[in-house]
Amino acid sequence: MAEVRPVPRSEAWAQAVAERAVELVVSAVDMNAVLDQVDLNAVLDQVDINQVLDRIDLNRLLDRIDVNDLIQRIDVEALVKQTDLGAVIAASSSGVAGDVLDVVRSQTVGLDEFIARWMGRLRRRPYTGPPGPPDRLRPRAGP
Amino acid sequence: MTAPAGDAPPSRPPVIARESLQGKYAGFASRFTAFAVDVGISLGVFGLALAAISFAALVLTGKDITWHSGDIWVIIAYAVWAFIYFAHSWAASGRTAGMALFGVRVVADDGTDASGRRAVVRTLALPLSFLFLGLGFVGILLGNRRRALHDVIAGTAVVYAWNARAARLRFLSRK
Repeated sequence: MAEVRPVPRSEAWAQAVAERAVELVVSAVDMNAVLDQVDLNAVLDQVDINQVLDRIDLNRLLDRIDVNDLIQRIDVEALVKQTDLGAVIAASSSGVAGDVLDVVRSQTVGLDEFIARWMGRLRRRPYTGPPGPPDRLRPRAGP
Repeated sequence: MTAPAGDAPPSRPPVIARESLQGKYAGFASRFTAFAVDVGISLGVFGLALAAISFAALVLTGKDITWHSGDIWVIIAYAVWAFIYFAHSWAASGRTAGMALFGVRVVADDGTDASGRRAVVRTLALPLSFLFLGLGFVGILLGNRRRALHDVIAGTAVVYAWNARAARLRFLSRK
């Protein structure tokens, strides 16, 4: 273990004075005014974005992102309502027969959920949604 | 993110609004209504076939053939027809007409397509689920994998095979 050298008293005193001086200067400076004077465009002009991007390891970055969590956070319903995405979906989807199928299936799934919730109450187990197999057992689903 | 203490928990949207449901085990109502539709279709087609045979016999021989539902030959003929209807549908595509209508599908319990052998076993085991007041169907209501007795015997499961979330988005896009 390295031996800790005792700091001379004069050096400690000088450091305390320097820290106090920096505090006084920082508190006296209006940082917003300083930032207003900075020409960010000029700064960005000097930055080679391509070089910065080249340094980023995208695979490593993506490995740290939980894409499923990210997707869950997206309010797709609001997206459909507020953008042209709804028109694209409407144009690409099937006609009246498809709509009737959607309604019939949705109603039946609603009934499935109603029954499952009551069964959960009877079993004293909270119902958390339709059960599914582990991903490795997930069947290939049709349209 | 957690809600502050004392606040009411946010209400969750219905399951069809937040999940695609594809691959999830199908519930009792979907399975029962699909089966009821299949029974209706198979009986309807069988009745039409009997009517066609009666008509052909009348035209060709001049004899009027009448069928009675309690006749043993009619029962046997319907049993054979129902076996072909269900077994062939499950072996070929994993679903009957009723199942296609309600968006459910038969798969093997390891998630792969149901084979012909499983389809035949499932069809033969189906009547067993009706015994003892339909006790074999209780597994759909209470089991974690929502399997009836004939599913367990055949090594199959029934899953949703339609994208509920896409249907929800189609609905919203038209509003």
